[in-house]
Amino acid sequence: MNIFIPLIFGLLIGYLLRTREKTPNLELPMSTALLLLIFSMGVEAGKVRISASWLLLSSILFALLTIAGSLVFAVILGGRK
Amino acid sequence: MRFLIFVLTSLMTGMLVGHFFAPDFGNLYEIMLYTLILIIGIDLGMNFRIKEIKKLGRTVMVLPLGTILGSLLGALAASSILGIGVKWGLAIGAGCGWYSLTGPLIGQYSTVYGTLGFLANLTREIFTVLGYPIVSKRISAELAVSMGGATTMDTTLPIITKFGGSDVALVAFVHGFILTALVPFIVPFILQF
Repeated sequence: MNIFIPLIFGLLIGYLLRTREKTPNLELPMSTALLLLIFSMGVEAGKVRISASWLLLSSILFALLTIAGSLVFAVILGGRK
Repeated sequence: MRFLIFVLTSLMTGMLVGHFFAPDFGNLYEIMLYTLILIIGIDLGMNFRIKEIKKLGRTVMVLPLGTILGSLLGALAASSILGIGVKWGLAIGAGCGWYSLTGPLIGQYSTVYGTLGFLANLTREIFTVLGYPIVSKRISAELAVSMGGATTMDTTLPIITKFGGSDVALVAFVHGFILTALVPFIVPFILQF
């Protein structure tokens, strides 16, 4: 299934719910779905033979470079102090 | 912070279960992913108001654009260094720190890159918490918000408020809000190629 279908469907439901006086609290269902999803992702990842050190170093590199890139563009577009 | 511990525990438990027992849960992963996306959609639909964002200044509108472009460029550099396909690298970067969405979305196509997408974006969130107090002193506190990506409307908002002030908190919230609305569209779009 295309990921956009539940997303757009959700947006429509949310838009319709907006008109109601009391909107539902989505904290619990979202947290539950998220933890189950991450658990099942961990299960799938655990089945694959993968180097933990490569994963850790790659994650750090991605994090550092995406942060650096965002800051550079922020300064270019927003102007330095 | 407590939820972050739950997330890490959930991931580690899953990895251990997968490694030692290799169970087959059928399409649980897809069901949970689509459920989460639906809930995210409902949440966005209930809270997203374009008129309110327009009232704020130019920086608030431009900053998320810079964050996305910079993240994509940084991810492109990282994928070149690591020898990872451009598509995977861009998808990881486009997550803008939203690890709980990026990891599972990429995981539909590749378990390894899904896990990397998850951890890379989680690391970005952790680095923002650790680095914002320092970076906000080097460049303006408002512009330093970009390092947090989509997380600036929730998990990294307290640290930004504490070190940037309440004025910056509003910028951070809207910045995170705009990115939260965009990331669920950008990551799947990149993955389609």
